[in-house]
Amino acid sequence: MLVHSRKGRWATWTVFFVLFLPLFALPLVVIVAASFAGHWSGAFPSGFTGEHYSAATRGESLQALTTSLLTALGASLIALAAGTWAALAATRLKQRGDGTSRLSRLCGRTLDTLFMLPVAVPSVVVGLAVLVAFSKPPMILNGTSTIVVLAHAILVTAFAHQSVSAAILRLDPAYEQAAASLGARPAYVLWRVKLPLLLPSLTAAAGLCFALSMGELSATMMLYPPDWTPLPVRIYAATDRGATFTGAALAVVLMAATLLVLFAVSRIRTRASYR
Amino acid sequence: MASSGIRFDSVSVAYGKNGENTVLDGLDLTVEPGEVMALLGPSGSGKTTALRAVAGFVRPASGRVFIGDRDVTELPPHRRGIGMVVQQYALFPHMRVEENVAFGLKAQKVARAEVPGRVADALEMTGMAAYAKRFPRELSGGQQQRVAIARALAIRPGVLLLDEPLSALDAQLRSGMLAELARLHRELPDVSILYVTHDQVEALTLADRIAVMDRARLQDCGTPQELYRAPRTAFTASFVGNANLLPVSVGEGAVSLGGAELKVDTGDVAAGVTATLCVRPHLVGLGPGPNSLTGTVSEVQWRGATHRLYVDVGGHSVKADVRELREPPSLGEEVTVHFAPEDAVLLSAGVTHG
Amino acid sequence: MASATLTAAGQKTKPSLKVPAWVWALPPVTGLALVFLYPLALVVQQSVQPDTGGTSLQPYSDVFGSESFREALGTTVWLAVGATVGCLVLGFALALVIAFVPFPGGKAVAKFIDVFLSFPSFLITLALLFIYGTKGMANGLWTDATGASGDGPFQFLTTPWGVLLAEITYFTPFVMRPLLAAFSQIDTAQLEVASSLGARPLRVVRKVILPEALPALAAGGSLVLVMCLNEFGIVLFTGAKDVTTLPMLVYSKAMLESDYPAACVVAVVNIAISVGLYGLYRVVSRRAGA
Repeated sequence: MLVHSRKGRWATWTVFFVLFLPLFALPLVVIVAASFAGHWSGAFPSGFTGEHYSAATRGESLQALTTSLLTALGASLIALAAGTWAALAATRLKQRGDGTSRLSRLCGRTLDTLFMLPVAVPSVVVGLAVLVAFSKPPMILNGTSTIVVLAHAILVTAFAHQSVSAAILRLDPAYEQAAASLGARPAYVLWRVKLPLLLPSLTAAAGLCFALSMGELSATMMLYPPDWTPLPVRIYAATDRGATFTGAALAVVLMAATLLVLFAVSRIRTRASYR
Repeated sequence: MASSGIRFDSVSVAYGKNGENTVLDGLDLTVEPGEVMALLGPSGSGKTTALRAVAGFVRPASGRVFIGDRDVTELPPHRRGIGMVVQQYALFPHMRVEENVAFGLKAQKVARAEVPGRVADALEMTGMAAYAKRFPRELSGGQQQRVAIARALAIRPGVLLLDEPLSALDAQLRSGMLAELARLHRELPDVSILYVTHDQVEALTLADRIAVMDRARLQDCGTPQELYRAPRTAFTASFVGNANLLPVSVGEGAVSLGGAELKVDTGDVAAGVTATLCVRPHLVGLGPGPNSLTGTVSEVQWRGATHRLYVDVGGHSVKADVRELREPPSLGEEVTVHFAPEDAVLLSAGVTHG
Repeated sequence: MASATLTAAGQKTKPSLKVPAWVWALPPVTGLALVFLYPLALVVQQSVQPDTGGTSLQPYSDVFGSESFREALGTTVWLAVGATVGCLVLGFALALVIAFVPFPGGKAVAKFIDVFLSFPSFLITLALLFIYGTKGMANGLWTDATGASGDGPFQFLTTPWGVLLAEITYFTPFVMRPLLAAFSQIDTAQLEVASSLGARPLRVVRKVILPEALPALAAGGSLVLVMCLNEFGIVLFTGAKDVTTLPMLVYSKAMLESDYPAACVVAVVNIAISVGLYGLYRVVSRRAGA
């Protein structure tokens, strides 16, 4: 469309792949290659072995995977519930007509801003804040798995809130009004019409939250107790002590687990989308 | 099914920060029980707002809305007992046809044993019984429309609100559905229907009475025959049937357009004032006759069975629909047109718009 | 007429016992306040009121006076700005090719970028260790090719340049995604008309595409700027002692030195910068309709 000559097009594509492949594809390829490598002291890895994987899928590493999965599950469920609730409440406050005042619309916008705030605050600072707040009475959570899940939930709620808000905005009000005209109370409309119609967006939001939580490192580094070590921390520990190949294998496990969950979620989403 | 009418008691609806944008201005209108009332008007005339005020989706700034004897102005939509069908049908995409139709019954906690029978009745009535297990996305537009109507009828509402229900269908389906709606109303004579449309054919075909709306106000209300034959305002005359509106000065038993003297029934319009003469294009004939006017042809449109001629008579354009001409007049040719005195209606108001 | 309308509306009361909308907003707001706003407030409080008691701005003057803080602030800002500019240029160029010089597999590339976004940032640094590390691929290729002994020429990984490369790599997709969405809105007929009128590709890009893409570029750019300011994983994995950014400083003050008041001061500064920028991002992206 933009470049018309054949030569020009090939030149453009060449430049594209010369930039794209080393920058984006190569890192992932390299991590996978390293995870199988026995050593790597020249141009290419050598002595291929599956040993790093057997190390990465047993004992403490396996436990780290389970920890990450459980943390991500807990955090994304909390985030989804809180984010959806807040998005629905904010939409109702912002709704025009039916006696809503300017004050109420302002409240709705403030609610949105409050829930988006965790995106702006550095994750390390969220970790520090949670650590400071929950290391003293009345709520001592320091050293528990709860504090990790809680911090992850805080960090990802904003993303759930944002995508659910966008989906609610796209929802045709005709459905809600048709349901109301048929005599359905607001709670019944929410449960039988709105939430089912939002389901594809809800699962997408859940997948996003899950992926973000799986890879969360910054706040986790400030908070994790010895018996609740998520996978990213374990990858850092392995790399830090020089076991980079084990680190790479753990990273591949992390990526695979994330992709697997995202794939499962997108399958649910296809089944749940009607239009 | 309790039969109940609808009554608007000077209902006004306004938007904007201080209510400066009035979209419905003091509407007074009564729909009798069992009557089909069409709200006819161009877009932005306030007709859909009036319907939504009955449904409860807009809140009147003043005035009351009654359904039967009940003042429903303050009631939320789900407690008004209405059935409603909108232009895009709004069928729930995640439910099968039968679940869509059962939705209102379940929402209103109708006894569980009663639901399947009533769903089957409603689908039977709209001819959709064979599609009960389908999803809306598997149906054509016309079929979706029937399901939407079945869904609204299943809850046995006293009033049925139809908001441009046919405008998403193509022309052929539309006339079929029109006949279908007329049949449904014969089968359910107790249901009052408020039918919003911008299409005069739908209104003339279906309605017992038509309320013509323009610029947030009710302009005219009457039976289709009254509105068509004897429009009370220039807007009605031009919107319903696209009439010729000619400014004339009134004399004794006759009016004059430019220099031409035309015999019409002046009724109670006083002599000496300026008035508007309304003549339907298809009642204007080509050639000399009673009440003839001479002018030049400014445009000729061939419409298959008819020719539409635009004749410039002393600066006024007169439309004439005549049977297909073998040799239509050429542009600029001088022609004479005529109409029968009884086919013209004299409106005392001047030409305001249209 | 309008005045009559208003008085009638004023007299009206609502008899139905509907729960007001703001009541529904209370539970999520309470939850957020408890686990997020209250902890943040504590951080601010700790920065001026250490556990030892007393209120003083001493921690602030200590931190602002320290060389390490000023260096970290400088590093953070130039890394973030540099990475943002890099991401914008690279992301615009790559998105342009995907959208307007389509090639088979272009959809797959767009999909790959989506997947890329769901991986954590530190994976990039980990990969760069294998590529440009002291014993990595690039240096290995160099020594193989030249036969030179000792270390290769690529030693930038533990310098800020390594962090910059990793950040550009990781955050470019964040610019590309909104750009691709914006490009898909551009009517290709516009481009065809422009080139039929004799405009050369660069002119079409400048006069037709760039103006359309500007809001998406601004929104994507400010998001990346905020994320770069807050980035921690990439810097941590680099393992370079001489690259310290604000989030890194918060971490080391709190976890390695247990100097909580100082950590809180740095945190407050970091919050102020990124929340300010994030506010800007929201304004820009709302104007862009994103």
